[in-house]
Amino acid sequence: MNRLVKDNILKGITYVASALSVIVLAAILWYLVSNGLSLISGDLITGDYYATTENAAISPDYSYTEMETQEYSGKGYYSKKWGIALEDITTAHNDEEISVVYVDPNSPFTHMNSLVAGEDGMELSLSSGSAVQNIYYEDQNGETVFLSRVQMKDAENTIKTLEEAEGIVSINYESIGGGIRGSIFATLYLILISLLISLPIGIASAIYLHEYATKNKINSLIRQGIDTLTGVPSIVYGLMGVTVLFPVTQLVGATSTSILLGGLTLAIMLLPTIIRSTEEALIVVPKSLRDGSLSLGATKSQTIFKVVLPCAVNGILTGVLLGIGRVIGESAALVYTTSTVISDNPSILSQGTSLSLMIWSIMSGEQPNYELASAISLIILVIVFAINIIVKIIGKRLAKSFV
Amino acid sequence: METCFDVKNIDLFYGEKQALKNVNMEIYKNCVTAFIGPSGCGKSTFIRCLNRMNDLIEGCKVEGEIIKDGLDIYSPKQDIVDLRTRVGMVFQKPNPFPMSIYDNIAYGPRCQGLKDKKKLDEIVMTSLKQVALYDEVHDRLGESAIGLSGGQQQRLCIARCIAMSPEVILMDEPTSALDPISTSKIEDLCLELKKDYTIVIVTHNMQQAARISDYTAFFLMGEVVEMDKTDTIFSHPSDKRTENYITGRFG
Ligand SMILES: Nc1ncnc2c1ncn2[C@@H]1O[C@H](COP(=O)(O)OP(=O)(O)OP(=O)(O)O)[C@@H](O)[C@H]1O
Ligand SMILES: [Mg+2]
Repeated sequence: MNRLVKDNILKGITYVASALSVIVLAAILWYLVSNGLSLISGDLITGDYYATTENAAISPDYSYTEMETQEYSGKGYYSKKWGIALEDITTAHNDEEISVVYVDPNSPFTHMNSLVAGEDGMELSLSSGSAVQNIYYEDQNGETVFLSRVQMKDAENTIKTLEEAEGIVSINYESIGGGIRGSIFATLYLILISLLISLPIGIASAIYLHEYATKNKINSLIRQGIDTLTGVPSIVYGLMGVTVLFPVTQLVGATSTSILLGGLTLAIMLLPTIIRSTEEALIVVPKSLRDGSLSLGATKSQTIFKVVLPCAVNGILTGVLLGIGRVIGESAALVYTTSTVISDNPSILSQGTSLSLMIWSIMSGEQPNYELASAISLIILVIVFAINIIVKIIGKRLAKSFV
Repeated sequence: METCFDVKNIDLFYGEKQALKNVNMEIYKNCVTAFIGPSGCGKSTFIRCLNRMNDLIEGCKVEGEIIKDGLDIYSPKQDIVDLRTRVGMVFQKPNPFPMSIYDNIAYGPRCQGLKDKKKLDEIVMTSLKQVALYDEVHDRLGESAIGLSGGQQQRLCIARCIAMSPEVILMDEPTSALDPISTSKIEDLCLELKKDYTIVIVTHNMQQAARISDYTAFFLMGEVVEMDKTDTIFSHPSDKRTENYITGRFG
């Protein structure tokens, strides 16, 4: 009786514990979804983070009489006269904006010349997604009137005002910004660089340690060292990156901290993980298979590459997954190495931030943007999930090609 | 009769512990030689000396000579990889590689650098036929060898060994994990194979030794008590301990 009670209590504790973790996870996910889901769109993923401003005048060649605009029945408020539809939006930066949702191909807004100094009247065309900042128009008396962002109030009012205008002179508009494309690329670069370097070195080291190394002082010291590295805080790796690895990246032309530097730093950070998991995978390959191979006159390296490694593929991939997870989640090691500057078009030798670091950037500003941070978090979750599936598929393929 | 291995004064140590004491014997070509003896007496240890698989065990030290074709296989001049291509081994537990049946058998020749598909096909087919496995698996050569039954796996391992066309096949209790039907198939195989190969087999099964071997060596505590023609060993053993073991009064 007593034993039964004890048993049930223990069972209860495990139930409660697992329920608790599930609830916490669900709560986090719910928070992210409720905050960030509405922001997620194609524009967020493919767009620039920084808004760019354009100032453009209607081209003198444009003739209002020759150009016929079409009817439009999509969302927003439409002015057939000027062939433009506007709507009210809230941007990823949490600003209220009047956004262009449709521009007719014959609209005057598609025949403009830039007024920005240095662009020499470059031809411009207003595209949907832009946020209108102010407009100069001609009223019935032929006078040029300035319609400021404050006077515009909202999309409906702007359209109403424009419908009464006689002509459009110029327009000032911004791309919306808040996009995370650059950081997605930076993250992918980081994953690629760090894995390309740490995988071969890590696997080779693990093979040395497990297959070739004899038991002696030096080798046990190496092993001890690797185990210790696993516990080193990532900020220390970051420091080592700027001080030790920066000169290395200078050799290939880096002038400042760069994604390459971050990737190299992460590669070193991942080494212990990769070595460990590869070694674990090598340990479980049965000795009988090695004996079988050697007894057939295979050399040691043939045995390792043809029998042992293919058997260890799944274990190695587990290490790869752990590594990718660490790269995606890393921030401390990257602060000094890739910088926290968000870049829209990162290259390997330029600065940039990973998605995680971007969250940090966004949240550490004067006005933390919870919505954008949540949206990015959701996208990180999706990426992790996708990479997991891809790696699993690769694992299955590799295992199959071996059979 | 030609000598295949001439074993002279072999002592073997696992660290401090001596596992073989002054073993002397001759193993003849195209004969089946059986090793019998109680568990732990050093049969496996000795058979592994013949293709130097003991080298893989840390702390294992061998003294003495095993002359094969005029060369001591423990001399530094001996190429170990080459030795193992000439002296193949089949283990107690079937250990097919987790690859296809075809790749398992082609493994050895491929490791020797053979790439010619036609020749490989030929080798795979003849090896499988020699172990009487061809009819059972000819339509699934591309499937994983792990899917075969234990007996089929063991015959595959023998085929894999034959594919190397070795001179000697060492078998360490090849039938101990198999059912009587698979066992008798492998016994028949041994009799068949001895035309072309020299076979050394470790077994705990007295009937098996009596059925298939030409020579039998009786091991006890790391020593060879007696080695002779199998008929003699089983009918008139010269040592009392051999007689006791064979008649089951011991060990
Ligand atoms: N790798 C090893 N390290 C240390 N001692 C070993 C090792 N392998 C075997 N031995 C010892 O050497 C002795 C002989 O072992 P061996 O495996 O040759 O016996 P065996 O005759 O094959 O027995 P069985 O019939 O049970 O297979 C045993 O006492 C065993 O404990
Ligand atoms: Mg044994």
